[in-house]
Amino acid sequence: MMSPPNPASTISPLVELQNVHQTFKLSSGQKIKVLKDINLSLMPNEILTLLGPSGSGKSTCLRIMAGLQEPTQGKAKRHGHTFDGANTDIAMVFQNFALLPWLKIFENVALGLEPLRLSKDEVNERVKRAIDLVGLEGFEEAYPRELSGGMKQRVGIARALVMERPILCLDEPFSALDVLTAEVLRKEVLNLWISKKTSIQSIILVTHNILEAVSLGGRILVMGANPGHIRIAIKNDLPYPRDEKSGKFKELVDNIHDVITESVIPDAPEWVPPALAASVAESFPPVPMNEVIGLIEMVCDQGGRLDAFALAHTLMKDSVQILLMAKAAELLDFVDTPKNAIVATDLGRRFARGDVNTRKKMLHSQLEQLQMVKLLKGKLESSEDFSIQREEAIQLIQDWLPNEPASVVLDTLIQWCRYGELFGFNADKQTIYLDRGEEVGEG
Amino acid sequence: MYSTDPFKYGKRLQTSDAVVFALLGLGIYGLIATAQRWQGVYQPDFKMDLALSALPLYGLYSLFRAMIAYSLSLSFTLIFGYLAAKNRFAEKLIVPLLDIGQSIPVLGFLPGLVLGLVAVFPKTNIGLELACIIMIFTGQVWNMTFSYISSLKAVPTQLHEMADNIGLGRVQKLLSLELPCAATGLAWNSLMSMAGGWFFLTVCEAFTLGDKNFRVPGLGSYMALAIEQNNHRAMFAGVFLMIFIIVFMDFVIWRPIIAWTARFRLSESNESLHSDIPFMSLLLKGSPFFQRLIDLLNTVLIRAGNFRIKDRTSTPNPLETFIAKNPRGQRRRLKKLIAYFNASKFFQFFIIAALIVIGFVIAGKVYQLVETLHWNDWRDIFVATSFTFMRVLAALLIASLWAIPAGIWIGLSPKLTRAFQPFIQVGASFPAPMLYPLALGIFNAMGLELSISSSFLMLLGVQWYVLFNVLAGAIGISQDLRESFRLIGLTNRTKWMKLYLPSIFPALVTGWVTAAGGAWNASIVSEYVIYQGHTLKTRGLGAMISEATNSGNFHILAACLIVMIVTVVSINRLGWSRVYQIAETRFRFER
Repeated sequence: MMSPPNPASTISPLVELQNVHQTFKLSSGQKIKVLKDINLSLMPNEILTLLGPSGSGKSTCLRIMAGLQEPTQGKAKRHGHTFDGANTDIAMVFQNFALLPWLKIFENVALGLEPLRLSKDEVNERVKRAIDLVGLEGFEEAYPRELSGGMKQRVGIARALVMERPILCLDEPFSALDVLTAEVLRKEVLNLWISKKTSIQSIILVTHNILEAVSLGGRILVMGANPGHIRIAIKNDLPYPRDEKSGKFKELVDNIHDVITESVIPDAPEWVPPALAASVAESFPPVPMNEVIGLIEMVCDQGGRLDAFALAHTLMKDSVQILLMAKAAELLDFVDTPKNAIVATDLGRRFARGDVNTRKKMLHSQLEQLQMVKLLKGKLESSEDFSIQREEAIQLIQDWLPNEPASVVLDTLIQWCRYGELFGFNADKQTIYLDRGEEVGEG
Repeated sequence: MYSTDPFKYGKRLQTSDAVVFALLGLGIYGLIATAQRWQGVYQPDFKMDLALSALPLYGLYSLFRAMIAYSLSLSFTLIFGYLAAKNRFAEKLIVPLLDIGQSIPVLGFLPGLVLGLVAVFPKTNIGLELACIIMIFTGQVWNMTFSYISSLKAVPTQLHEMADNIGLGRVQKLLSLELPCAATGLAWNSLMSMAGGWFFLTVCEAFTLGDKNFRVPGLGSYMALAIEQNNHRAMFAGVFLMIFIIVFMDFVIWRPIIAWTARFRLSESNESLHSDIPFMSLLLKGSPFFQRLIDLLNTVLIRAGNFRIKDRTSTPNPLETFIAKNPRGQRRRLKKLIAYFNASKFFQFFIIAALIVIGFVIAGKVYQLVETLHWNDWRDIFVATSFTFMRVLAALLIASLWAIPAGIWIGLSPKLTRAFQPFIQVGASFPAPMLYPLALGIFNAMGLELSISSSFLMLLGVQWYVLFNVLAGAIGISQDLRESFRLIGLTNRTKWMKLYLPSIFPALVTGWVTAAGGAWNASIVSEYVIYQGHTLKTRGLGAMISEATNSGNFHILAACLIVMIVTVVSINRLGWSRVYQIAETRFRFER
């Protein structure tokens, strides 16, 4: 059992990002800001984790540090100096393994040595050692397709180890694996680092799994989305290997839960002047309505109250996704979300009991109360043929929700309103039209 | 790659080595024969011998021309495809040029190539042979390059990132990642390209330019002469040899290559059209000599891969160091200035300037040619174009009428697919113009005029594209959906309308685009045909092009070519690309 030495302030960081901004241009010409003012540094002998929901730009951070992506603004530095091209201090492990299916395991690992132009014997020796370290002895002559997911990721790790670089970058390395395999591999990576049998000084781990972040990370950077930014840096001094059942571990997990929850479901909404309140449009969590309905049903089936994280665990879903679903249900007044719990409202219970038609009617009237829906409906009613172009709707959303990706909001909105039979969407003409075929509800 | 077992080849030569040696011997003999022919005294109108005994050598000549043309196509593809896929600027230049090149029928290249190259090599046959090879090349190269570009662009980002993270150089990345990813597409397109090269063989090896007849010894010129003299025995012999060459190539080259490239697929499923190992691959595996050859090649390639063009991290940019030396205040301005005039921009500027100059020169020459034309000539050309347009449409329609049902029917059953595939492949590879005399005999007996029957002649060549693509689409129809349709108990009509036709639609569009392009090109031989020693022609753009080439009227030829290029490119760009978009967005299954 040991703990990593504290990074002293005099030691220079292995890699760092300074005031990094990143904007991507879509093929439509639209620009999307994915990173905003990121400052971070990786010290020797630490495991740094970037934790956040999808879309928070954690992978982009990793790519900039590895020199695979040039930042739109700001600098990436290696040992205090800027660098060109790929960062040769970093060995990457990819989410989907990035193995070449036509090469044998031995050759896939040896690929990592190709640029070094070593002699055959050296290659043989180093590859053998890397393969032994990850426990793949005997599989040298196999092809990737003959291996399970966990074994494939071992090959990915061996290929990273064989290069003998000081930094190991793990980009969601265990998320394509089943829970048990992920746990085993997590422990092995940790042991490799602790044992100091390899060249690895420090590790950067990108993940959306809070437990994973807490069990490995010495420092945890919690990231937020739209655009990606660092919300908070949390120090984790618990000694390795960490006991998931210990009180301190649980406390830390809960704290981080709260930080993320705060951002997804603000408990105390910011105070808005009443005059403005009516004109402020809600933001839309991008989740499909059928999943939201599923959540409401599940909450009501379980007696009307559920813990969001317990639910995420049983469903083996990303907890952020569950929180977004809960937020969507809350927007429609079907549930309340005190702290981490999801509680069904009376309306929600009635909804869950109702048949298809009752549900449609209720959804219809709840959706109609949303500011954005009202705005869109007004626009549709004032147009000649009760329909508008998609572009117009996007414009409207951009005016009212300038900080959100308009096309995503619109797609969500259309999907919800189709369920409530409010609007329809003609994909051929790219128009949104008022659903007047069967007028339901009191609308 | 890394194992060093000296005994792995086996000590003694095997019987299968004999086959390898026989093939090598044939290759060397062909090379010598070709070299002698090239060195020979210039003889534009080769005296052909229609005796059967002369035919094998002619066949070998043609085979070698096609192979040399194919090597040129492959080199062109590897170089320009790579440039277009890697460099946006290059892509903007190369892709439109490929589009234009694709739309020019072989006769468009003929006068320039022949007159130019013969002038360069007036004493020997080299010029004429080169011209002939390049003409075959223009029938092969385009689809290969398009396929290579799209394969290179489809390499998954994660694999690119992996290669960059490891630090693979450009050559290493090409050899270990990009070429393998492109291999499957390249192999299939090579097969199609060879077929495209054979198509105009009769035109490429024997043609009239103004008052001069040109003829190089080969299977195409043999057929051309046999058709001219209406010599049935020679015609049948030629057709038979052509089929033999196609089957031989398929057996000895394409099948093993396609089976070999199957390993380079990124998907990890094992299903494949050719799931059984071709006989030739087994044979080669059993030949120690061949294995030794391959290992030698491998070593050379690995050596080449280790050779790095430039190491980005170790050599600092001289401009950057220059900027760093300057005082702080000036750095920004300098940087801006240099960014504006940086090396690659300057290079681009140079290329654009050069292209503009070349463009003007060509435009000037063409204008000189076209200037003399009367308004009536232009009217004739446009009327002829609309006739050809109708014929192309008719050919597509008829091809669709039979090939869609047939393709779906065959494709839905793996058994039928296996049974029919070799025949379809040979049918598609066989140059249809060699069958025109036979087909015309039938059409004449039915009382059809060339004005109508030339559409059917086009059909002979292009129907295969439709069939091939529909077949590929039908093989891909989701098994789950088929089963669910059957379980629901839907009628056949519903199955066809709601499942089969929509499923094959994207592939069908690809087939139509290729077929339409082929039909426009084929108009030069199907609207102007030699039949029983007479020349038959009908009103159409293809006939005008053929006639203008034969009579050496370069004014009309230039005008016709311009009209054809503009028509075909704009139909592709405006018409087909729309249909293609609909197919991609509405009917593509997400995978």
